Amino acid sequence: MITQRLFVAGLTPRIQIVIALLVGAAVLVPVLNLAFPPSSPFHVPNYMVALVGKYLCYALLALALDLVWGYCGILSLGHGAFFALGGYAMGMYLMRQIGARGVYGNPDLPDFMVFLNWKELPWYWHGFDQFWFAAIMIMAVPGLLAFVFGWFAFRSRVTGVYLSIITQAMTYALLLAFFRNDMGFGGNNGLTDFKDILGFPVQASATRSALFAASALALAAGIALVAAIAGSKLGKLMVAVRDAESRTRFIGWRPENVKLFAFTVSAVMAGIAGALYVPQVGIINPGEFAPANSIEVVVWTAIGGRGTIVGPILGALLVNAGKSWFTGALPELWLFALGGLFVAVTLFLPKGIVGTYDQWRAVRRERRLAKADLPSGPAEAGDVRIVRASSATSPVPQGGPEPQPAE
Amino acid sequence: MRLLRALGLILLFAAGFGAPAHADEGELRTIIAKFATSKNFRETEAVVRELAATGDPAVGRPLGALADGNLSFRKSDGQVFIVSEAGGALTLLDPLSGGRSGEAASREVTKVRVNNSLRRAVREAIGALTLNSPDAGVRLSAAETMFRSPDPEAIDALDAAIAVEAVANVKSRMEEARAAAVLASDLGDSEKLAALKTIERRGDRTALSLLAAVKGRADGVLKGAAARSAANVRETLSAWDAAQNVWFGISLGSVLLLAAIGLAITFGVMGVINMAHGEMVMLGAYTTFVVQNVIRASYPGLFDWSLAIALPLAFLVAGGVGLIIERGVIRFLYGRPLETLLATWGVSLILQQAVRTIFGPTNREVGNPSWMSGAFEIGQMSITWNRLWIVVFAFTVFAVLLYVFKFTAWGLHMRAVTQNRRMAASMGIRTPWVDALTFALGSGIAGIAGVALSQIDNVSPNLGQGYIIDSFMVVVFGGVGNLWGTFVGAMTLGVVNKFLEPYAGAVLGKIIVLVLIILFIQKRPRGLFALKGRSVEA
Amino acid sequence: MTKNHTILYLDGVSVSFDGFKAINNLSLVLDKGEMRAIIGPNGAGKTTMMDIITGKTRPDEGEVFFDGTIDLTRHDEADIAMMGIGRKFQKPTVFESHTVEDNLLLSMKGPRSIFPALVHRGSIGEARRIDEILATVRLEARRADLAANLSHGQKQWLEIGMLLAQDPKLLLVDEPVAGMTDAETEETARLLREISKTRSVVVVEHDMHFVRELDVKVTCLHEGSVLSEGSLDFVSSDERVVEVYLGR
Repeated sequence: MITQRLFVAGLTPRIQIVIALLVGAAVLVPVLNLAFPPSSPFHVPNYMVALVGKYLCYALLALALDLVWGYCGILSLGHGAFFALGGYAMGMYLMRQIGARGVYGNPDLPDFMVFLNWKELPWYWHGFDQFWFAAIMIMAVPGLLAFVFGWFAFRSRVTGVYLSIITQAMTYALLLAFFRNDMGFGGNNGLTDFKDILGFPVQASATRSALFAASALALAAGIALVAAIAGSKLGKLMVAVRDAESRTRFIGWRPENVKLFAFTVSAVMAGIAGALYVPQVGIINPGEFAPANSIEVVVWTAIGGRGTIVGPILGALLVNAGKSWFTGALPELWLFALGGLFVAVTLFLPKGIVGTYDQWRAVRRERRLAKADLPSGPAEAGDVRIVRASSATSPVPQGGPEPQPAE
Repeated sequence: MRLLRALGLILLFAAGFGAPAHADEGELRTIIAKFATSKNFRETEAVVRELAATGDPAVGRPLGALADGNLSFRKSDGQVFIVSEAGGALTLLDPLSGGRSGEAASREVTKVRVNNSLRRAVREAIGALTLNSPDAGVRLSAAETMFRSPDPEAIDALDAAIAVEAVANVKSRMEEARAAAVLASDLGDSEKLAALKTIERRGDRTALSLLAAVKGRADGVLKGAAARSAANVRETLSAWDAAQNVWFGISLGSVLLLAAIGLAITFGVMGVINMAHGEMVMLGAYTTFVVQNVIRASYPGLFDWSLAIALPLAFLVAGGVGLIIERGVIRFLYGRPLETLLATWGVSLILQQAVRTIFGPTNREVGNPSWMSGAFEIGQMSITWNRLWIVVFAFTVFAVLLYVFKFTAWGLHMRAVTQNRRMAASMGIRTPWVDALTFALGSGIAGIAGVALSQIDNVSPNLGQGYIIDSFMVVVFGGVGNLWGTFVGAMTLGVVNKFLEPYAGAVLGKIIVLVLIILFIQKRPRGLFALKGRSVEA
Repeated sequence: MTKNHTILYLDGVSVSFDGFKAINNLSLVLDKGEMRAIIGPNGAGKTTMMDIITGKTRPDEGEVFFDGTIDLTRHDEADIAMMGIGRKFQKPTVFESHTVEDNLLLSMKGPRSIFPALVHRGSIGEARRIDEILATVRLEARRADLAANLSHGQKQWLEIGMLLAQDPKLLLVDEPVAGMTDAETEETARLLREISKTRSVVVVEHDMHFVRELDVKVTCLHEGSVLSEGSLDFVSSDERVVEVYLGR
């Protein structure tokens, strides 16, 4: 009943289409990959399945960031940390699955621990041989970190640029920590050489297709969740917190709780994205914590259009496809292109692709309406519906107040 | 035999750079040749005394070799060599120069035989040669060497040397060496207790290990006294350690100050986070590299001036790039700090890649001018010149900025804009110009910070990335709108970092500092020196 | 004087920022159901006083009691808002990217925690209440428009409407008629008089014409404390008030 109510709220036709596309891809791509021989024109090659599967994980990460940035106004420069933590949790499960097949053949200890002369498994590695436990940790660890971090940060009203910087410091601290060998996460090299997931070999086409389908379905579920949140009264409250935080406080809301909710949910989504990402790329190392990675996620979201649901997904897919193309064709130029993208989007496309498109459509409709029924007032019943529909993809106000150093 | 070899080396060192008495080389060789003809230990000892009597430090090598049993002569012509064995064949080395003079099979040479009394003679000869050397430096290192490898048999030689020594610090080193020798000897407790005091006065790490060794093997009164002395030395040492840590902290703090102060200015005045700030530092470092290259190629004599030339250039290069960024990008984004952050991050990627394309991805070599090389010591602290100069430089930059802010019209304008932009604008201050120039100033300072950092860090396209997060931490910790906040923030972070390092290791120390700042900002969301009152909230 | 019958009770309140005393030994008592106008030159401490009452600023010393018994210095903004104190800012602050209706919806009295908001579904009672408020603040026609598109005066009214939706016992209204036309000003005065029939109201205003129209007891603040109190005629004939305003 409650879920039903939740899900009706934010599901605009556009979002329904995207969810349908994803579900379709989750079914179709594995079929095209497995059922058709490589010679067939309908065959989807393995590398394509892996590549697009990776992009879908990125898209889920971008969507998670959009929930906090686009809807709640928290620019997190540390979302890569939650992604990486989810990835490490999955990586630990995959390491334990290797068992005695490692180079050193130790049934309990992963190779790197044998190499470091460790005698027994550290306590925090226990339980990761069970998938259900790893699955809980994939969500619990990023969620808990976000909760604790957010609890401190939002309660003491750290906002704006300050908040962005300390989220960056958070991921940087984790980067340094995971580089240390004695942290017990494989140090510099991270976790790799995975063999099985749930008993299936990770390298096999069928497993890869299944992982692709899982990523597509996870993204579809993520979209439904964000749409439901955004369409609820809480979603409206999030936007209100983004636009006028102190006003919400003076009408009795606690914006810190709103932010904490969004931040924690978002971190869990990022963790799931990371967990799906790791078996598809076959490695997780501390590089995923690099602050630069987290900032890149921000630009995907910005390009697609923050404060919209489809935007960040579109942005993540476009930018990463571009990255794949550039690093193949013109590797020297990729960073120029990415840097230019940052500048161009903030200067010329502040609402992102989807936001700009929506705005353009709204302007056109207004003109048409004005032409069609000049005499009637603005409170037409049809008008009401349209405005409500567009408020699900909440526009981000531009400009705003003058620069204030401390904000 | 370690002591002997070490002393021999000191002699050689003195011979190489040497001022002291030089006998005629031919004369020395004549004497050395007598080793081949001496028939028994007594005759060999006579040769040793004859060599020592020349007073030439060059005799250290053959004497040392003799004591080690490496001195041989060729059967065929009676020529004396130092022999070193490698893979069956023997390499023959000239006894004076140590240069290679051929090879021989082991049956072709005969070893000059030595016994213990002969070894003692050699030791005395070398000890006398070094301890009585006319060069104070040689005497000092001899005393130091004898302290490190105490030998009771050297006491007499040391006593003799102490009696005639005129240079105070050489004399005290000799006394310490004598005390060490006394402790190693079988002399009475009273002598040894006095020796303990002497060593305790020395108060460094070698003294401590010596005392620990004495404590280990002595018993009774002596053991207790050694323990007390060791404890005292340890106390002195930990005080010096603290001082050294403070110095390292100030040094790190100065680097942070240089890197962060430009950031603090732009953030304070304009509310703009410049993610490309680190790249301005990098541009400054590369400017230094280019300046040094030009100087090396065209005017090698000016090399010691290269940094002085690079400073204004780096300021102009980084400041110019900053001005372009402000006019081209940032001014369109005022009032949108988060977007500015993203755009400047994009700029930083472009700058990094541009530098990588032009100069290559690898580290570039930037040299230290002579006045920045080397180190000196205060007590138990070692201070390198480049660090010292960077501290001086950072403080100077800070002082100049303070002056600019407090006493110039431009500084007044910047402060006005920091506190109330709209009011400043209505008072007729052209805020866009203040913004542009402030941004250029902040970038220019980053540029000169790059000149300084090029002296202590690798100059690579990633140079800036390494500093940017630390600089943010300084700014966040210190608060904006007040240069002193940045100063205190940088110094605190530097010192705390260096004090944590010995306990937690460099990486963990840094993590702890980051976590502490994240916690600190909960308590003081606007930093140590925040502006207060209604204006901030408006 | 007992504080039991008061809705708002300030006694000996002081607060300073970096040595500057924004409020200096301020005492003010408001009876239940009373409407009070507060006047005073710029920097008299009017806004800071509101900050203290609503929990944004903590006083350095002094007592602040609401409804006779509740010590406001122990609570934060959200708590205080939930107890029944509504505040309208000097600069109208509404949620610009929401519709007028959603603005009211978010302000509606009710639970303020996360999960009820997540599964919230409008009730008929709630819809009726929104209709009523829209009628009261005369924004029925703009119901579905984004708040960003309202005129300045309409935003002021929407903000007052949001206060009403909160159903507070005490309203603090900071300069409600700044930037309004004469007609709008009169309309606002009527609205406030209407509201004050059921609630206590504190109005901070510069516009003497408007204050006269409210026809209530006036308190004049100066340099953070009460300079004069009484009817508007009494206060405006007070020598010290004239001096402060005209700056002799």
